[in-house]
Amino acid sequence: MDKSMTWKIGLIVAVVALSIWLMWPLDKKLNLGLDLKGGMHLIMEVETDEAIAIQADMSITQLKGLFRDGSIKYEKVVRRGFNRIEITGTLLDDERKIKDILDDDFRDWTYTVGGNLVSLALRPNIEQQLRDQSVDQALETIRNRVDEFGVAEPTIQKEGLAGDKILIELPGIDNPERVKSLIKSTAMLEFRSVVSGPFLTEEAALKDYNGKLPEDMEIVKTNPRRLEKGFYVLKAATVVPGKDLKSARRAQDEYGAPAVGFSFNAQGSTQFEKFTAANIGKQLSIVLDDRIESVATVQDVISGDGIIHGRFTVDEVDDIVLVLRSGALPAPLKYIEERTIGPSLGADSIRKGLMACFGGLLLVVLFMLVYYKAAGLNSILALLLNMVILMGIMAYFHATLSLPGIAGIILSIGMAVDANVLIFERIREELKSGKSPKSAIDAGFKKAFWTIFDSNLTTVISAVFLFQFGTGPIKGYAITLIIGIAASMFTAIFVSRVIFDLTYGRRKKLSKISI
Amino acid sequence: MYLFKEVPNIKFTSKRYYAFALSGLIILAGIYMFFTRGFNMGIDFSGGTLIEASFLKPTSIPQVRSMLSKVSLGDAQITRIGSENKFFIKTMASLKKMNISNETKMEGVEEYELVARQIRNSMLDSAEMDQETAGKIDLNNTAEGEIARFLRDKGLGDEDALASAKIIIDLRKGKNGIITDFSALENAGIKHRVMTVLRDNTFLSKFTFLSVEFVGPQVGKDLRRKAALACVWALIGMLVYIAFRFKFLYGLSGILTLFHDVLVSLSFVLFFRIEMSLQVVAAILTIVGYSINDTIVVFDRLRDNLKIMKKDDLEAILDKSLNQTLSRSIFTSLTVFLTVLSLYLFGGEVIRPFAFTMLVGVIAGSYSTIYQSCAWLKVWEKYFLKRKKS
Repeated sequence: MDKSMTWKIGLIVAVVALSIWLMWPLDKKLNLGLDLKGGMHLIMEVETDEAIAIQADMSITQLKGLFRDGSIKYEKVVRRGFNRIEITGTLLDDERKIKDILDDDFRDWTYTVGGNLVSLALRPNIEQQLRDQSVDQALETIRNRVDEFGVAEPTIQKEGLAGDKILIELPGIDNPERVKSLIKSTAMLEFRSVVSGPFLTEEAALKDYNGKLPEDMEIVKTNPRRLEKGFYVLKAATVVPGKDLKSARRAQDEYGAPAVGFSFNAQGSTQFEKFTAANIGKQLSIVLDDRIESVATVQDVISGDGIIHGRFTVDEVDDIVLVLRSGALPAPLKYIEERTIGPSLGADSIRKGLMACFGGLLLVVLFMLVYYKAAGLNSILALLLNMVILMGIMAYFHATLSLPGIAGIILSIGMAVDANVLIFERIREELKSGKSPKSAIDAGFKKAFWTIFDSNLTTVISAVFLFQFGTGPIKGYAITLIIGIAASMFTAIFVSRVIFDLTYGRRKKLSKISI
Repeated sequence: MYLFKEVPNIKFTSKRYYAFALSGLIILAGIYMFFTRGFNMGIDFSGGTLIEASFLKPTSIPQVRSMLSKVSLGDAQITRIGSENKFFIKTMASLKKMNISNETKMEGVEEYELVARQIRNSMLDSAEMDQETAGKIDLNNTAEGEIARFLRDKGLGDEDALASAKIIIDLRKGKNGIITDFSALENAGIKHRVMTVLRDNTFLSKFTFLSVEFVGPQVGKDLRRKAALACVWALIGMLVYIAFRFKFLYGLSGILTLFHDVLVSLSFVLFFRIEMSLQVVAAILTIVGYSINDTIVVFDRLRDNLKIMKKDDLEAILDKSLNQTLSRSIFTSLTVFLTVLSLYLFGGEVIRPFAFTMLVGVIAGSYSTIYQSCAWLKVWEKYFLKRKKS
């Protein structure tokens, strides 16, 4: 055996060994997709407009403060749409002062001043930045929550062209509304003082105010799972905002019932202490995501920490603690896609996928053996190596195997022998034209190479576009196809050549080959 | 073994007008179908709720429909899966249509979840309904985690609760996803003390939901645009590549051939009311990438022959090239055809639309290589292809 032959065989053995090493043990290395193992696939949209509106509202508060400090007169400062602010009723004399304020402290906004109207618009690049930030923050928050909830191997990633969607895949969970409400909860916790209530209906609550509520008050619904169904009138301003919350934990109230314990940071503590001292005997509400969770009478001055009690179950306490710990979502989320696959469908899919795989393999093997005889055996060997390499590469990339992925594998079985067919037919042609077997093999491989290369590359081109366009399983399919084609180029052109050389290379006189 | 003893000498190119007529007819019929009936859009593209339900007893489509009528969903699209008692139920219903007021809308529950829940309720018989209202849970329609939590709340230890829930779910991985009676659970190794709790607090309905899928309306619209774009870009990619490796006119002929394959495949999707889904788009894109293979093999040979057979006219060279590569064209397609056929036969209901589209595409691809790609070159010859005949 000459030197180059040893080298070639060495390479093949190395590739196969590496593939087997990479894929071993297969069930640990290859993740099954949701459609095969059952679970939940969610796509949520972050309502980034809301995040911008929140930012605009904060700017309005800041603006009002600055106007007050500069004793600038105005009629109203309001938000228009989600990214514009209008200041009406300003005086001509104040125009310079307003411009100074806007130039100094509102660089993120462009503004126009005309008559007694100043309108501000958020700069487009800042708006985009805010959108990106809110999606990133939502992603982080969701990741925290899912991690704390303890789902094995979750997938949480950005999705969609605009990048404003979040894909969540939770294997092994089918239909848990609990997880969904957990993910979706904005977790805005506020402590607000109660003006009056409870009322049975919104109308009843409005009655005391002749149907129109003063600007600094708000009607808020109770969470019917914790309190009697009803409405309270609350002060719009929060006593302590959620961001001053330091930690949350599971606790018990004085009767031993489950409750949510919390502690404030220094700033929150001072504020809470001041408020409770001034409001002993009055009612305080704890509002989570615009729903009243608990209403309590202030008994004493409270500073550092406290508890929320209500009719909680242990699980509910755990969930609330979890969302409070993971932080608030910057904007509400909307579910736009959900797929839940039950365990039996997954098991069924695997069984059928394997069956199709073996069926396809069997048909191809039969065909190749009958039509090409010994050379067919060669291609089958190459095909098996192809499968091993394909699995090895997929395991290396921790690819997720889904039903379309299996289809990709099956298809690449069919396409892998394509190259062999091209080569064998070419060899036959060369033989017919009177060449000796050795030079026919040589010419067959040489001439078929570019044809194989071209034809495979075109399939790769379209698979790349498929990858670009697809979501989850379709991406998996495109990747499997590309890897399969790459592996088949190696096995059909290189490995089967080596096998030919091994079989026929050492014979001095070769008059006939089985093809 | 050889398909042809000698290189055949079939006059393919002269039959081009028949081929154009046949393809044109199929495509025209497809276009007619498109405008009259349209695609049978799957929920990937149309949005809506899709439920795969499995029943224990023999059930007919009218029976399922009458259950759904109870919640004003009698017009849902119901398809039987194979010959089993499994059905796809597809609806774009909203709560409003189902006469459910916002009052009953529960806190934190999405609209589509309520739709799914209503559909489930419509399938419970009166005895099961009573058990449900009595606070019992349905072991055939509850998730593993929920079952475990429920058992824990009923006073069982963590270990018992988790182990029993796992056994229950594993049992559901059986043939139709339904557990028939409690003795099956006992036989599967659930402890006696757990069984007592199960018998008292749970029941076994006679159906299960194998999958529930919901897609929002906006997603479908986005997807349709993206799918069309992906196809167009893939075709342009092919054009550029072939034009680069061969000549622009070859590229143009190749693209027309591919366009033909895509249109024929889509026509068959329309004829057979195959559901238009992501899979079908994936199949179409695979066809775009794959069916050009044969065409390239022929063009490759054509390039060689054009150098050798300088004196012959184009039609003869085209025919010669086609004949020389004929057995290759047939066999390369055949191997793929065989694997896709296996996928179609054994791969199960879910992957069947993909396999069907691929089958049509592979056949169309190999027919079009022989009857379209070279025929188009012949058409160009008259106007563009200038060859020196010495």
